[in-house]
Amino acid sequence: MLPAPTRSLDELTLGEGVKLEELVDREALGEILGSVYELFQIPLRIFSDDGRLLADVGRDVELYTYLNAFRKPRAAVDQVISAVKNAVPGADGGLTVPCVSGAEYQVSALEYDGRVIGRAILGPYVAPEADTSLGSLLSLDPALEADRVRELFARLPRAGAALVGKIVRHLASTLELVLFSEHRALLTSNMHLASVRESFRDLEDKNQKLQVAYDRLKELDRLKSNFLATVSHELRTPLTSIIGYSEMLSEGLVGELSSEQREFVLTIREKGEQLLALIKGLLDLSKFESGTMTLRKNNTDVAKVVREVTSTLQPTALRKDVRLEQAVEAGLPRIWADPERLRQILLNLTENAIKFTPTAGKVTLSARITGMEANSIAPEGGGMVILGAKRTAVEFRISDTGIGIPENEREKVFDAFYQVDSSSTREQGGTGLGLSIVKRLVDGHDGTVRIEANEPEGTVFVVTIPVRRATIG
Amino acid sequence: VQLDFVNRELTIKLVYYGPALSGKTTNLQALHKAAAPGASGRLMTLETRDDRTLFFDLLPLTFKSQGSLAVRLKVFTVPGQVIHSSTRRLVVQGADGIAFIADSRLSETQHNAESFMDLKQNLKEHGLTLRQMPLIIQFNKRDLPDVRSDEEIAQLAAQGREPVYMAVATRGLGAVESFIGLLHLTWSALNAEHDLDRKFGFDSRAFLASVAEKLGQNRALTEILGASVGGALDVLRPEAAS
Repeated sequence: MLPAPTRSLDELTLGEGVKLEELVDREALGEILGSVYELFQIPLRIFSDDGRLLADVGRDVELYTYLNAFRKPRAAVDQVISAVKNAVPGADGGLTVPCVSGAEYQVSALEYDGRVIGRAILGPYVAPEADTSLGSLLSLDPALEADRVRELFARLPRAGAALVGKIVRHLASTLELVLFSEHRALLTSNMHLASVRESFRDLEDKNQKLQVAYDRLKELDRLKSNFLATVSHELRTPLTSIIGYSEMLSEGLVGELSSEQREFVLTIREKGEQLLALIKGLLDLSKFESGTMTLRKNNTDVAKVVREVTSTLQPTALRKDVRLEQAVEAGLPRIWADPERLRQILLNLTENAIKFTPTAGKVTLSARITGMEANSIAPEGGGMVILGAKRTAVEFRISDTGIGIPENEREKVFDAFYQVDSSSTREQGGTGLGLSIVKRLVDGHDGTVRIEANEPEGTVFVVTIPVRRATIG
Repeated sequence: VQLDFVNRELTIKLVYYGPALSGKTTNLQALHKAAAPGASGRLMTLETRDDRTLFFDLLPLTFKSQGSLAVRLKVFTVPGQVIHSSTRRLVVQGADGIAFIADSRLSETQHNAESFMDLKQNLKEHGLTLRQMPLIIQFNKRDLPDVRSDEEIAQLAAQGREPVYMAVATRGLGAVESFIGLLHLTWSALNAEHDLDRKFGFDSRAFLASVAEKLGQNRALTEILGASVGGALDVLRPEAAS
């Protein structure tokens, strides 16, 4: 938690106002008085609004030191000084107080922002028109030596009303300027602190709102995944029955069908299987999103999986009059993968390739050994040279001579439900789920999948899967 | 507002709000320049960088009325730049009245609107609404090319609640009129709430006229108040006095 500013903006600008002793450093105040004293040799004191002495210069006046040795003169002088201390200057801001010594004091109000914040007392000094016979002073005590008193009196500074006025105005305006600067500095530091605090509070507010929104979204996401899993499951059960019974019908288990009836039943079965594939895809996707997809990885024979995939798809290719070839490098190592899921990856990509390749085209499924950057981003805490070393991997390339994928679409095809050209969905079938599942399955194997152009036309899907499990990440 | 019955003193806080570089500080400088000696203290500018206000400017004005009541006006500006929203919130806290200084240029229309919404939001954070707040709007920089037209502003102002002023603050034009309009609205609102006229034995109209005079206006108060387009400034207008 940040500390609270000592006083609010309103307190510092609107309320009681500022205090002299709070704003000005006493030593600095003494120095200002010192500079005035140096020029005019007149003693000077500054009192706060509540009567505390804040600074003074020239307090040792020889005449007064001498008078202090005598009881009656001392009492008389003390009385004047205490009167001066408590004197309240009039509306014009100034007040002259005569002293029993024949000298006088000038009391002036110090103002800031239209308010009295203290008093300045100048004196004792001797006005030009003062009575220098010193009769009343000498009459206080017969023990006073007249010559000595006159000598010390002569050493008191002289100042006319005009000079006194000038000194007081100079002092007041200097102080006002100092106070203004100090007040501004005080406000600035308070504002600094207050605005940092306010920004901090703002950010905390926003953080909290974001956290609430984030928690809500996470919960919604979980609900969505659950919903998807449940619905998929509930859909699959009746669908299995539809497919099963239409299969039995088409095989004539319950009596021979006319050719038209057979055709209809086969259509029911075919569409049922399409629907099943879609539901399986959705189920896979929801498993990925809910984080419940488990891969059963073991040392998998790549050549065997590739062989299975090509032989499974050979009839499909034949039906479309597309040439399907495989090219597996000899001596490929086994890779750390879930063979069932690897088969799904290759099956999906190869089936897609056949689907989008026109008659008399060619689809090739190849596999070869390659190197793979373990991590293209420097790992946190360093060690790139160790952790970023190349790893051995197997690269699968599925190339076709089909319509190709524009370069700017190549990233997006891996998004769920994305179709490069949605009109092709109706023509070619497909749900837009296949590639996003492929991407997630490849990710689950620490692998990468990307798309290259096939020259002169068509597409190459390149899947790279590391031979051994990753050391980091 | 701060009321001090013992010292017969009243402190009112007025805030100049608006988008960056719309002329809030310039308005205060114009008031400072126009004020008679003794009426205005030093214009305090807190922390600027490249002539941009970082925290606020503060112009203290003091007016002694009849009956020795001292009315202290503290006129603040806020920093206009968007990022200083939290500072604006601090400054606007406790404001008795607000002058919204808009930039007349067509290109600034959006910034004006954003700043106005920011003001609304910041008041809301203090539990206030614009409706409760005495507010005037000033269209500044009327001397620049490509500004919103007088007709357009007048037409919109006529539909609005708040008085609208035209100004060229760099030349001091409209600055005092806007200020008197704001002070008038603010005083009326405070008077309605605290019954100041009665408690302090105060003559609002005479006070406002004396402030205008101390700010170098020789015209009659009615004329000065009449400088606004649209809005409701009628509380002290003679025709509404009955």
